[in-house]
Amino acid sequence: MDQITFLLFMYSDVCIVLGLYVYLLRIKKLIGFQLGMNISVVMGGMAALLFGVLLILQYPFHFTWITIISTLAGLVTGALFGRLFDYQSFVTGLTNGVIVGLMSPMIGTVLEMTSVFVWFVHIFFALCLLTILISIKRS
Amino acid sequence: MLFSWNLIGLGLVYRIFKKKNLSFDDRFSMTMCMAITMISPLIIALHIELLLPGSLKALFLIPILLGLLIGWKFGSLIKAPALLTSIYNGTMGGIMGTMLGAVLQNPALCNIPIESEAMMTANMYSLAIFTTFLHTLVFILSQINGQ
Repeated sequence: MDQITFLLFMYSDVCIVLGLYVYLLRIKKLIGFQLGMNISVVMGGMAALLFGVLLILQYPFHFTWITIISTLAGLVTGALFGRLFDYQSFVTGLTNGVIVGLMSPMIGTVLEMTSVFVWFVHIFFALCLLTILISIKRS
Repeated sequence: MLFSWNLIGLGLVYRIFKKKNLSFDDRFSMTMCMAITMISPLIIALHIELLLPGSLKALFLIPILLGLLIGWKFGSLIKAPALLTSIYNGTMGGIMGTMLGAVLQNPALCNIPIESEAMMTANMYSLAIFTTFLHTLVFILSQINGQ
């Protein structure tokens, strides 16, 4: 795939995550702490995974910087989503984002079929978002 | 230098460990337990893997056993579910830290283009310092929560 496709994917992911954050900021009174903890874990991990894989496919020569950047992305996303609900979900989302962010550039480097994997990760991300939205509606 | 970072991490682990011994809650300390045992075996295993010489193949079990030990020690403070969670997370952290350390020592395992020998050493040092920073961050957070 081209470089510009990865850039478009990354931009759309950032937009989706920001949109979900604003949406949750408005209705955070309706969500219990259990669902909040799960949301922060899922969003921190998914943000770190997407950032690590897309960045390492785009710039394959800067392994260290990309590890640091994806770890920070997972940390910040998990912390922001957890901060909406509870202190404990804050710590859990932060930790999970750090773990996945340290691992995700290693996944990106060993890939053979990059486009298939990128599509798979995005379908997985969309399914996670769908599950989160359904469980928000039910609660 | 790496060994001193490692010692700082271990010292923080034991300080928190003693502090948590006095005050438990139900759900609260289970979350803390999960967070600590996820991060600390990973980072300690990474540091040990970078410190030990690569020629000794028999030593690859040490970080995993250390992760299991840390998980056990933290989990045995509280209850049975917390013990299970922390042993599982500790062992997982040990395995993943070993993997990350192996990739850092030999980047050809992961098809990463190798620049030079000095660049690899710089990568090792910067990642070790960065992970130690993360470790202290998580421990500061748990210390705030423990009071």
